[in-house]
Amino acid sequence: MRPTQIVEALLFASDAPLTAADIAAADDSLDEAAVEAAIHELRQAYEAEGRAFQIYEMAGGFQILTRPEFAPYLERFDTVVHTARLSPAALEVLAIIAYRQPIGRAEIEEIRGVASSGVLRTLQERELITPVGRGEGLGRPVLYGTTTKFLEHFGFRSLEDLPRPEELPVILREPAPATRGGKAEPDGAGPA
Amino acid sequence: MELRHDTDDAAFVVELERFHGPLHLLLHLIREQDIDIFDIPIAKITEQFLRAIAGVEALGLDRAGEFLEMAALLVRIKAQMLMPRRTEEGEELEDPRAELVRRLLEYEHFREAAQRLELAELERLRHYPRGYVPPRPEPKREVELELTWEELWAAALGIGERGGPPPEHRVTPRLVPIEEKIELIVNTLRRVARIEFRSLIAPFKDRMHGVVTFMASLELAKRRALAIRQSEPFAPIWLYRRNGNAVDATDADR
Repeated sequence: MRPTQIVEALLFASDAPLTAADIAAADDSLDEAAVEAAIHELRQAYEAEGRAFQIYEMAGGFQILTRPEFAPYLERFDTVVHTARLSPAALEVLAIIAYRQPIGRAEIEEIRGVASSGVLRTLQERELITPVGRGEGLGRPVLYGTTTKFLEHFGFRSLEDLPRPEELPVILREPAPATRGGKAEPDGAGPA
Repeated sequence: MELRHDTDDAAFVVELERFHGPLHLLLHLIREQDIDIFDIPIAKITEQFLRAIAGVEALGLDRAGEFLEMAALLVRIKAQMLMPRRTEEGEELEDPRAELVRRLLEYEHFREAAQRLELAELERLRHYPRGYVPPRPEPKREVELELTWEELWAAALGIGERGGPPPEHRVTPRLVPIEEKIELIVNTLRRVARIEFRSLIAPFKDRMHGVVTFMASLELAKRRALAIRQSEPFAPIWLYRRNGNAVDATDADR
């Protein structure tokens, strides 16, 4: 069995991203460099053969997904896995958390000017955010951070793939000082 | 945005629904009119804001409060603008609008970020993972309800409270807390393995006890703390203790 085939088998059988380390654990003949070389080779082969899928890198791992040009065919197909889109409010809260993590509810509500506990609950249920620690101040508020699922949902390899703040049309002169007892002090495992 | 003076409030509330909150509305007013955000004509904007939120109460208490809070802030800033901007020592005071401008810019910044996230989401959703979602099962044929008026009447009476003139509809606080009924059921099922629903409500006269006890049963069934069985429509309802699952009322109503 060639390493490329083993890597392909694992990626084929997975419905979520696998890290190079995950894949390397499958066989003694593999290490991370070998896995990455195999993925490179597979990608080129798929490209050359005009396959309907490709290996994409996201959330620190690799996953086989269909190519975007086939979306029109899959869109209306019932048995295909469709991921629900997020509401505008959910996107707003996620954006704030993504850039300011770890951050508590009070600070998020301060920025949005509206109550956000319902949205936070939904995002947590969808595992896009998770409590990552507790802030200082009254009641030691729960601080949230984004998860691996968050990266997967947006197809980001890591948080580095977030649009850079200075690329956004409205540039903040300086990050607003953390107020209201929301000073960052993570104590749990950080986001992936 | 076209600001209508003579419109009825209902139309505006529909408009207001579009906005996520007061900052969103305020930003909209400013950006639509090409106003310099660093030099907001506060009197004019305040007037427009107040007009836009007329009828805000229809949004419900929580959301209305957020808009009203912003209205109060705008009115306060408007008043502060009339005060001298220097202290007696000639020291210059901060522009009363400064904090609001900072918040508006910060909010706009994150709205832009949210829009970028949405684009990334749309792009990502055009790629499909492997997987299979079973097709939805055909809806079961509806069961015809076969019963006599006498059976229906007996069942209606069984839930308590006899006839009499229809009670006046009055909204009052919930007199029968669901937590209490959950506890009643949980405690009962600690002692016995099953209990007939009717015997739980028998001691109470008010129909509300029947309703709330039923809601409590459904809630506990949802939490898999008990099982509900009924052999046929209108037959007695039995609540069964679920084996292995210690019934717990502590994490009641959340």
